[in-house]
Amino acid sequence: MTDELKREIEREIKAHKVLVYGKGTKDAPRCGFTMETIAFFNQFGYPFEVVDVLENIPKREGLTAMTEWPTLPKVFINGTFYGDTDILGPMHERGELKPLLDETFKTPVS
Amino acid sequence: MITPSELAELIRRALPDAEVDAVDRTGTRDHYNLRVVSKGFAGMNPLDQHRLVYRALQLALNDGRLHAVEIKTELPATG
Repeated sequence: MTDELKREIEREIKAHKVLVYGKGTKDAPRCGFTMETIAFFNQFGYPFEVVDVLENIPKREGLTAMTEWPTLPKVFINGTFYGDTDILGPMHERGELKPLLDETFKTPVS
Repeated sequence: MITPSELAELIRRALPDAEVDAVDRTGTRDHYNLRVVSKGFAGMNPLDQHRLVYRALQLALNDGRLHAVEIKTELPATG
């Protein structure tokens, strides 16, 4: 992966508290799993960003190497990689995801 | 296309004790829901458990026999 690409990914992960790398966009998902992931995050009411990497092969390969995770979508919460809804769904069922998101979006008191 | 028993065989190369349930999601034998139960997952976090299953399936994913999988990993029930 080029340094430039690495910086781009790091910048995106930092800029969005919940970030989904997927196939297609929020308005026009181009993969069933990406669509499921968007529906999954819609239920919490917190903002999240979807970055389309369907046709960006170098970025997909870079992300795969970085996460050691072969498939899309790939979800980052607060800078940490959480896999996909196969991981997040059971986390939510165990009641672990909502507190993580609440904590992530808690505005610091100034 | 890949059969449920071929999937189970690939997974058992990495996890010999694995119990594998493979459900064909689309009727086309290339999109599966997989449930994998193995003692081999002990001490691993869910991400690493899934990475292990993906690695076991890499051949079939790379050569196109398998397009997509939904994975659920579990440790065997104790007692």
